[in-house]
Amino acid sequence: MLETLLPILIFTALALAVIGAVRRIRLWRQGRPSRVNLLKGLVALPRRYLVDLHHVVGRDKMISNTHVATAGGFVAAAALMILVHGLGIANPLLGGLLLLASASMFVGSLFVARRRINPPARLSKGPWMRLPKSLMAFSIGVFLITLPTVGLLPDSLIEGSGSWLLALVLAGVVAWGLGEMFFGMAWGGPMKHAFAGALHLAFHRRAERFSTKKGGAGRSTGLKALNLEDEAAPLGVEKPADFTWNQLLGFDACVQCGRCEAVCPAFAAGQPLNPKKLIQDMVVGMAGGSDATYAGSPYPGKPVGEHAGTPHGPIVALEGKALVDADTLWSCTTCRACVEECPMMIEHVDAIVDMRRHLTLERGKTPNKGAEVLDNLIATDNPGGFDPGSRLNWAADLNLPLMSDLKQVDVLLWLGDGAFDMRNQRTLRALVKVLRAAEVDFAVLGTEERDSGDVARRLGDEATFQSLAKRNIATLSQYRFLQIVTCDPHSFHVLGNEYGELGGHYDVRHHSTFIAELYDAGRLTFSPWKGGSVTYHDPCYLGRYNGEYDAPRNVLKALGIEVKEMERSGFRSRCCGGGGGAPITDIPGERRIPDMRMNDVKESGAELVAVGCPQCTAMLEGVVDASAEVRDIAELVADALVERPTDGASGRSRRPAATTSAEEVTV
Amino acid sequence: MAFDAIFEPIEIGKLTIRNRVVSTAHAEVHATDGGMTTERYVRYYEEKAKGGCGLCICGGSSVVSIDSPQGWWSSVNLSTDRIIPHFQNLADAVHKHGGKIMIQITHMGRRSRWDGFDWSTLVSPSGIREPVHRSTCKTIEEEEIWRIIGDFAQAARRAKEGGLDGVELSAVHQHLIDQFWSPRVNKREDEWGGSFEGRMKFGLEVLKAVRAEVGDDFCVGMRICGDEFHPDGLSHDDMKQIAAYYDATGQVDFFGVIGSGCDTHNTLANVIPNMSYPPEPFLHLAAGIKEVVTVPVIHAQNIKDPNQAQRILEGGYVDLVGMTRAHIADPHLIAKIKMGQIDQIKQCVGANYCIDRQYQGLDVLCIQNAATSREYMGLPHIIEKTEGAKRKVVVVGGGPGGMEAARVAAERGHDVTLFEAAEVLGGQITIAAQAPQRDQIAGITRWYQLELARLKVDLRLGTRADEATLLDLRPDIVVLATGGQPFLSQHPEWGYSENAEESLVVSTWDILSGKVAPGKNVLLYDAICEFSGVSAADFLADKGAKVEIVTDDIKPGAAVGGTTFPTYYRSLYEKEVIMSSDLMLHKVYREGDTLVAVLENEYTGALEERVVDQVVVENGVRPDEALYYALKEQSRNKGQVNLEALYAIQPQPSLSEEGEGFLLFRLGDCTAPRNTHAAIYDALRICKDF
Repeated sequence: MLETLLPILIFTALALAVIGAVRRIRLWRQGRPSRVNLLKGLVALPRRYLVDLHHVVGRDKMISNTHVATAGGFVAAAALMILVHGLGIANPLLGGLLLLASASMFVGSLFVARRRINPPARLSKGPWMRLPKSLMAFSIGVFLITLPTVGLLPDSLIEGSGSWLLALVLAGVVAWGLGEMFFGMAWGGPMKHAFAGALHLAFHRRAERFSTKKGGAGRSTGLKALNLEDEAAPLGVEKPADFTWNQLLGFDACVQCGRCEAVCPAFAAGQPLNPKKLIQDMVVGMAGGSDATYAGSPYPGKPVGEHAGTPHGPIVALEGKALVDADTLWSCTTCRACVEECPMMIEHVDAIVDMRRHLTLERGKTPNKGAEVLDNLIATDNPGGFDPGSRLNWAADLNLPLMSDLKQVDVLLWLGDGAFDMRNQRTLRALVKVLRAAEVDFAVLGTEERDSGDVARRLGDEATFQSLAKRNIATLSQYRFLQIVTCDPHSFHVLGNEYGELGGHYDVRHHSTFIAELYDAGRLTFSPWKGGSVTYHDPCYLGRYNGEYDAPRNVLKALGIEVKEMERSGFRSRCCGGGGGAPITDIPGERRIPDMRMNDVKESGAELVAVGCPQCTAMLEGVVDASAEVRDIAELVADALVERPTDGASGRSRRPAATTSAEEVTV
Repeated sequence: MAFDAIFEPIEIGKLTIRNRVVSTAHAEVHATDGGMTTERYVRYYEEKAKGGCGLCICGGSSVVSIDSPQGWWSSVNLSTDRIIPHFQNLADAVHKHGGKIMIQITHMGRRSRWDGFDWSTLVSPSGIREPVHRSTCKTIEEEEIWRIIGDFAQAARRAKEGGLDGVELSAVHQHLIDQFWSPRVNKREDEWGGSFEGRMKFGLEVLKAVRAEVGDDFCVGMRICGDEFHPDGLSHDDMKQIAAYYDATGQVDFFGVIGSGCDTHNTLANVIPNMSYPPEPFLHLAAGIKEVVTVPVIHAQNIKDPNQAQRILEGGYVDLVGMTRAHIADPHLIAKIKMGQIDQIKQCVGANYCIDRQYQGLDVLCIQNAATSREYMGLPHIIEKTEGAKRKVVVVGGGPGGMEAARVAAERGHDVTLFEAAEVLGGQITIAAQAPQRDQIAGITRWYQLELARLKVDLRLGTRADEATLLDLRPDIVVLATGGQPFLSQHPEWGYSENAEESLVVSTWDILSGKVAPGKNVLLYDAICEFSGVSAADFLADKGAKVEIVTDDIKPGAAVGGTTFPTYYRSLYEKEVIMSSDLMLHKVYREGDTLVAVLENEYTGALEERVVDQVVVENGVRPDEALYYALKEQSRNKGQVNLEALYAIQPQPSLSEEGEGFLLFRLGDCTAPRNTHAAIYDALRICKDF
């Protein structure tokens, strides 16, 4: 009986899967076009899966092994099952392999089941709770029906008259498994992640983020430019269908593991954002419906079931509720912790900025200080609205060389908007002192410099970003320099990774990288560290965005500091809360992100936290009753500088140089 | 950026100043070796530059000629080329930290003393006596005028060759240039007087000669007054005319403007407004001058607070603010603004200890900052943490000495506990601040309160420490700063008793602290003639009492400095307080409901009586030594301070000696009654090496 039933079951499931797949693909195709080389993507798929994706999944060895066993077992079992039971090729070898595959899958599914006993909050429940059972049903069912194929069980036991009941039960189990695995995969069940995930890997909108055989590390973190000339293109994303088709595909790949949720600083602060929920809301919107069936953690403070949307309806309602509330989108610090953790390579930050673009460019609804900051940027080329002529006020007594005078130097020192901020001016003065001590040939743009456009872009004002960027590029094009050095990771990122698309290609160094190079070249000498214990906070835009984790630590090591690492450091560093314009849009939560970060510092036991970003410094120093002092790496280096004796003192009688002190840098 | 106006650079002539804050010219009384800017002088200005001050104009009343005496106020002597290398040291020290430095140059004319040094014959346009210095002078002759004009030019050359960034010609405080300007003093009928142009001629010739000598790329400014406040002196309109006249020459790079003339005691007090004045009382005069000139205007007078400075600059009243006493109190003022440490700025309280010392020819010191102008001795403005052991330091007494001791010990990183018997910190400052117009002295305490909180000093207020409590804390060091009590028991005839019901006299502390209500008809006997007596008299009169203040000294408030006794006198005369001198308090007795005070004339011995309902006596402080003697024998060092180490600003040798038990130091009035500065200085120099 089974011999008849199984092929019917298998091919029915496959047929339904194909129908479902077509329907699913149709959903994705609602999105706007995106140029992807489909063939190349498919060819690259195995490597992207086995190397890049595995690199992320492999951070959790247990779940990684579980997935290898379960998914590997399933893929093999499914293929073999079609051959053996679908097409009736009852080859004992194939049968044996099928037994192995299903056994492996079964072992994997045991671990999947174990994870579902008291699952962590980040994991979605609902249909996901039945998945281990379905996996077991499939694997046990397939195992049992295959036993006769290799002769381990007499056919008669199942096929004999009178055992029809057993056969029926087995068929039922197999049908359950097939239903979940094939039908569910294409019709929106938990297994959808395998189908959409594989295609997303192949057709990812950032092909350049994957490693290459030639040794390319694979990194793509710059936001993609909006084509402001194309009148047909929407200004950002208003409705789900405004995303590109492969972005929609990406949302569909979400496996609801909640790794993003676990690392999201806004979620932890009780702000109304959960990256996982956001992606699921996009899935709801793409198909049309409400979020009532969502079975994970909600946006803090926002009950599930009150939001609904359609592919062509607005994501954010003009009034009332639609798919997502605006404050969810404005809670994001663009720290990329979610993207870094996502095993499905979903690009949450791109999606959020796409939606912000619509809110800012089409609706003019940048909340709180957002509109003021953007107005300032338009009027004064800096977010604070300061007189653009005052960008060099902090250096009136330093006689900084200007690019407009020199035209050609080794290093162009990019000041950033920290030049208007008294705290960051200390960092800049320290950096100038370091550059001078190392006798670096450098100059600044001075009042010719404009904001890099970082904040405008993250707030969704692509037009202002591009205007600033193009004018900066035009200014830079007048001068010759080998590299740009900056103490601002945001400027570093934008100049290095986002100006390229607009025609500006530069070799940009964060100051920690540059200082590390100077030290390695023997151009700096430090006195031994006498302070207390030190930890290091990785700025998001230096670390996750640009992969620079080593240089700051090398500099600290050169200073004689042994870094007491925080639990969350390196690629898992917790954001300070200062990125993405979050302090400007200032969405209330239950806690403040910088407070949590300073608590991380406290737990490390360090008395001083070294940073390398003006934004981080501002956020962390804003913490009341902090247990640790906040110093930029440049300041620590400037303090430790041992000035080398200079030759050729003038004939005038000079007093011995007073020792330079910390406060001297500040004045 | 809350202080953007302060931190906007400005061009003066061809010079870029990094911010808008100036330490304006004042006599430092630091120049040594015949008026040379030696190490103390250099370090004093270097500290300001290091602390971020934009421009220092040093050398108030630095002389250009040998007949303008240099020695009285140890001012800088620009009459000799000997000064040039010293200027180079000074300029290097300031420039190294990004600051700029100019010097005020002047000939003081009649405004000096002749009875010493070279026994100069002072000169003045019309030979009219100067009352404040009681100085007589001769009528200047044409030859002398041209000589002095040449001296100005040579002095400017020396400043330039020494690497300074400019000179400020003093035409203020009734120096020679403005002696020529003022019709009160210039009665000449020749070309150097009479008409407006005649009175302007000397200053103009000086300016022309200086400019011809130094050229266009060296700053030359003028300091002028905005209104002399003398009915027959130069009015604000006169000064506007004068400023516009010199501005029109195109040879002046900036004007420094201050309010008030100063050739009487009363107007002198305006020039350096003490704490009785409102903030920036004469800003309107400087703003008036700014209206008529085309170059930057600097104004200094009672600008002490960064917010105030920002407000003035933002309002555009003037281009630069002088924060001179503010920098004496805290040379790191600007750095602290930049560090976001506004609360850590030690703000000038207008006690005028600095300027009142200067008028006596003593070196300028700060009442509350003992490190100022002692930088050369190694006294630090920023206390470094100790690299040695962390000690348990117990300070007893929350007056200025105790607060400074606790602050310094805590900055060193020690574990500090401070006991104060009263419910609030401050000691005698708290009492002093009760008098009318003296409330700002409490700013000294306010700063310590903030610092001690920041440094997490364990404050035990309202707790009188006894021997057992102290020793329970197992201290490594005990600092006693317990002060003392009013010394009313010196003469039994005064009828003082510890029983308040029986005592015939009360102290000024009783009155100011509110412990004893003011009488209706009060005799206040002041044997000390410092602030406390006049403060109590002012307080009593303010509460409606009829007051006679009597002293055996030359006048009530005789020991109050030159810029402060006038503001007391204004208040006392206005309230009809009777001031009597040369009388000692012989005896007090009770007669019915009234008290009879018997006074004895010091010079005739004659007795006179006053029938009053309250006798208040100010007879200074008797040290409170009980706790000291209770602890002395148990302490390792027997309470002794090594004077050689103390005076040399070296660590007390006992600090490095091994041994069991605690070290004991006492300072301030519990040793001998001195003043706030003495207590703070001792605390700093003893505790800085803990």
